[in-house]
Amino acid sequence: MKAPENTPVWTDENRCKACDLCVAVCPAGVLAMRYEPHSVLGSMITVIAPDDCIGCNECELACPDFAIYVADKKEYKFAKLSDQAKERAKQIADNNYMMLGA
Amino acid sequence: MAFNYDEYLRTEKMPTLWCWGCGDGVILKAFIRAVDKLGWNKDDVCVISGIGCSGRFSSYVDFNTIHTTHGRTVAYATGVKLANPDKHVVCVAGDGDALAIGGNHTIHGCRRNIDITLIVIQNFIYGLTNSQTSPTTPRGFWTVSQKAGNIDPTFDGCKLAEAAGASFVAREKVSEPRKLEKVIQKALDHKGFSYVEALSNCHINLGRKNKMQSAMANLDWIDSITMPKKKYDALSEEEKLNYLPTGILKEDTEAEEYCDMYEEIKKVHQGLRPKITPDDFKKKL
Repeated sequence: MKAPENTPVWTDENRCKACDLCVAVCPAGVLAMRYEPHSVLGSMITVIAPDDCIGCNECELACPDFAIYVADKKEYKFAKLSDQAKERAKQIADNNYMMLGA
Repeated sequence: MAFNYDEYLRTEKMPTLWCWGCGDGVILKAFIRAVDKLGWNKDDVCVISGIGCSGRFSSYVDFNTIHTTHGRTVAYATGVKLANPDKHVVCVAGDGDALAIGGNHTIHGCRRNIDITLIVIQNFIYGLTNSQTSPTTPRGFWTVSQKAGNIDPTFDGCKLAEAAGASFVAREKVSEPRKLEKVIQKALDHKGFSYVEALSNCHINLGRKNKMQSAMANLDWIDSITMPKKKYDALSEEEKLNYLPTGILKEDTEAEEYCDMYEEIKKVHQGLRPKITPDDFKKKL
């Protein structure tokens, strides 16, 4: 599947069931859940910090619903894992995988 | 290029009917990637599933598929394989499907060492019917049928398959999708009966009263009861009691395969060779 232009990671909201797995495995705090009243579990996946994506592919492998895709290393120049990103990942996990400040 | 799963899926059936975070989806993805790596044609693969959450497996993949009766996946697969020896036959069953109601078919499939891959999705509970004790439910766990705590000793499917004569036995878990993919790929490629136990999460039915209400908590629990085979072998007998080894547990490439032996029977009836006698076999009993 070809990546949309200049996108490291993209999601299919029609398939996502908001299980939090991808957010839990992301080491760089790229993903988080936003409130979504129309979703069964009341939340929906959001890419909050695409610039910090390191292209490790963990979220794509962990997703059971074919709802998240990561670009190939040839298609996008991924960032290196920064301390700031690691800290955000931890904060999101502590915030029950919800977006910070929402 | 992200991996395009849709090529192998019946996309009109998406999203899947499984609960949020269900490990079945991860196993399905690992299986699709394994088939893709082997480069098999979609028309050469037959996926057979039984009843249970695992039964949905065959509806989602765009191969030749059969959704069969409860526990009879290996029985149907044996028929399909004998009629089409050049096709790749894959069975998918849950722990209840393969080890409880279908236990008999599983052991006899293993005994014949017929070239089928059986993927057992092991989630430690009867998920579809809402948390009854399955043959693999750990002791002391709450289930609907044993509310005071499960007292039944558990079944080790891998040891069963090994003892029954399967020539490839492996166990892997959902929390390591890359390893799972590799193991499934090896199992599919192996000639002979391949038994793969994929430890999966059911935080909805196993976890709800056993303090694992989220997929992450359930996967952490699975991580805590498993360890790689090398590490497991170094443990003392007493320490081994509460761990399950993961990785490839048995790989025998020398074992005789059933379809090859069946060819000999065909030759007898075609008058190409005399009848089969005990002298034709090295191991007679």
